[in-house]
Amino acid sequence: MSNGLTLAIPSKGRLEEQSREAFARAGLVIERSGGARSYFGTAARQPDLTVRFMPAGEIARELIRGTVDLGVTGSDLVEDAAEHSEDAVLTIKSLGFGEADVVVAIPDPWIDVTQMVDLADVAADFRTRHGRWLRVATKYMNLTRRHFARHGIIEYRVVESTGATEAAPAAGTADFIVDITSSGSTLTANGLRVLEDGIILKSEASLFVSRSGDWSPMRKAQLEALMSVVNWVPPGITTKL
Amino acid sequence: MINPFDRRTAITHLIEAEGIARVNPPMLLEANQYFELAGEEFGRSLLMSLANDGIEYCLRPEFTIPIVAQYVRQGLAGSPVAYGYMGPVFRQGPEGPLEHVQAGVELLGQLDPEQALDEVLTFARRSLAVYRMTTPDIRLGGVDLFEAILANAKMPDVWRPRIRARFGHPDAMTRLLDRLSEAHTSKADVSAEPIDKESLTEYVTDRMLAAGFNPADGRHPEEVAERYYEKQALAAAHVPLPTIDLLRLYLSVEGKASIVLDEIEALAGLYKFDLSAPLAALRHHAATLKALAPQSLVTFDASFSPRLDYYTGIVFEMLGGDRSVLATGGQYDRLLQRLGATVPVTAAGCIVWVDRLEQEMQQ
Repeated sequence: MSNGLTLAIPSKGRLEEQSREAFARAGLVIERSGGARSYFGTAARQPDLTVRFMPAGEIARELIRGTVDLGVTGSDLVEDAAEHSEDAVLTIKSLGFGEADVVVAIPDPWIDVTQMVDLADVAADFRTRHGRWLRVATKYMNLTRRHFARHGIIEYRVVESTGATEAAPAAGTADFIVDITSSGSTLTANGLRVLEDGIILKSEASLFVSRSGDWSPMRKAQLEALMSVVNWVPPGITTKL
Repeated sequence: MINPFDRRTAITHLIEAEGIARVNPPMLLEANQYFELAGEEFGRSLLMSLANDGIEYCLRPEFTIPIVAQYVRQGLAGSPVAYGYMGPVFRQGPEGPLEHVQAGVELLGQLDPEQALDEVLTFARRSLAVYRMTTPDIRLGGVDLFEAILANAKMPDVWRPRIRARFGHPDAMTRLLDRLSEAHTSKADVSAEPIDKESLTEYVTDRMLAAGFNPADGRHPEEVAERYYEKQALAAAHVPLPTIDLLRLYLSVEGKASIVLDEIEALAGLYKFDLSAPLAALRHHAATLKALAPQSLVTFDASFSPRLDYYTGIVFEMLGGDRSVLATGGQYDRLLQRLGATVPVTAAGCIVWVDRLEQEMQQ
């Protein structure tokens, strides 16, 4: 294993294309050597840079652990993967795509619920009425727990959902959801409505640097050199590592 | 020089004293019962482990719940038993996983619940003395006192459980009381067409069916309609301002127990509430503590409560030099029924943070 830096790029779909486009526009052309099935890539004129293709959720976790140095992923995933994300990673640049909101959405027919305070009342009464906790389906376990704690709501359960979360209320596996949405059309199609104060996080794809890795002076210099190629050097970034 | 090992032996003697059965619940427990009892907020602090069959386990985060669950499962509910324990517990800390050593006692089904609490206080006091902590600050809270005030105060019944649900969470309580008092100045939503409850319920039912929700599952249409009316009613100012003032005033009471309990009695007299039973119990235990630790400052804090709805009577904390909690406990009768007991069972207990006491000694 070389001593160089590792950059993680989302391995699939629009996120992969847009990430590579953003780097190419900035002057760093990334090739996926073995085609779409390969997990490794190369960057032009950067022999010491290891490029890895990984699922976006994994990139967030690996940045926090420090097993990759740089990575493109959604800020929603980073925020959810760490209790204090600012201690674990730094944002180098917002890349201007993948914009979406993590929101609290309830069944639209709940005409009495428009804000988080209404949800707090519903949660406080729910167990007495139904003999179980109010349930929220989400893949954002930590973001949800933190948001509800901030609003003083503890009378609920999280049901972990990794796909088609918006269908959980109609399927009866949860009462409402916390999910990511860009246009809101999927929510509307499933009879759901975002609370007036229900935006937990505004997310977008960004380039992050891990603070958990081994940032020797040598590696800091490599980071600064790489960032000057793409001209994305936030002043003093290496002093914060 | 007494070493840490000898001090732990001294704690062992306390939890194995005559009449106390030492128990050792498993280190690996099903996580679900913690989520069911304490919700997501406590659930966050568990160290989880997933079995191959998908069942979630956690490393023992505390002793009370497995001990009480076992007592109920064995069909002992109602019989007087005292349990003692000491061992490691595991929690998710802000910086990563934490291991602590806890010791404690749980007195279940005792005929005289106040005497049981006195015994618990004595145990906590003795445990601290093992570590030469003879003058801890002691904080008392009254769950039943707050519930009695809530039951006596004038307000629509729907608000009592909701206000109760915020007890022990000062920020959420402040927000709720602010909201209830703001409702007096905000205008009622006059744009809403007056509509009878049957029609509104029908309307909600239709929308649920149209959107593919099962009206019989989760929140029912009547429930949604009822709460919709309630919100309208609140906009027409239904929790009286004097009630909100009383709750705010009461929750702000904090100070030397002997003084502030008199103040609360005077307040109760003003509103003609009968709080004599919970106040007498608090005075009794404050006196017990004064006898156990004459040099300690014993305070009563009206807003102090664990944020767990199974605490019922008096709760307490004993605090060390840097205000760290060294012992905590109280009366928690409702836990027994939550865990399946079919008869009312009294319960009092406390935990002592052994590793914190050891650290406290070193400083």
